[in-house]
Amino acid sequence: MNAATFVVLVAAGLCFGYRLWRGPSVIDRVIAVDGLLVVGVAALVVNTMRTGDGSFVPVAVVTSLVGFVSTSVVARYVEGRGGEPADGGPPGPRHAGREEHR
Amino acid sequence: MIASSIVLIGAVLILLASIGVVRFNDTLARTHALTKASVFGIVLVLAGAAFRVDDTRDAAALALTAVLQLLVTPVSGHLIGRAVYRSQNFAARLDTVDELGNADDPQGG
Repeated sequence: MNAATFVVLVAAGLCFGYRLWRGPSVIDRVIAVDGLLVVGVAALVVNTMRTGDGSFVPVAVVTSLVGFVSTSVVARYVEGRGGEPADGGPPGPRHAGREEHR
Repeated sequence: MIASSIVLIGAVLILLASIGVVRFNDTLARTHALTKASVFGIVLVLAGAAFRVDDTRDAAALALTAVLQLLVTPVSGHLIGRAVYRSQNFAARLDTVDELGNADDPQGG
């Protein structure tokens, strides 16, 4: 049962890795890294369940907190940089193109 | 057996979240897939493992991780959604209503 869980988690990690590789924008990669952290925490917990050794359980707590901090920092950075087209082109000025569509 | 089944169900939910992140064709839709399915999956994994571990402190740490995920994932999803809205010119692609339209104006929002 644990082996099946590990196989499912590896498949999920491969899917997140594909999204991390392809992009196309920075925020897609942030989402992929967030999912990879979730997969890592789940794998750590399943390994704890398999071995019965709880030494690595605090790592799960720290990993979830660090993942939140990194996600929020990168989101603030992308927002403050003020615009990145979805096709990965050069970033424009802040809120470019919003006024003409209102 | 029951704990292992719960953990496997949680892992399958994380796999579904990853499939959604790969398959959806919009950044906000990918955020939706990640923040809903994966947080439920990780909470199921942690709950199943908390039944299995022997030490009470380990079970408490697993419960703390679950609570932190439940607290932190909506906030990070909100931040990601706002960054997407402001950086990818999302207001031009909306059809009906733009609830964040005048959120930046001092008089408006």
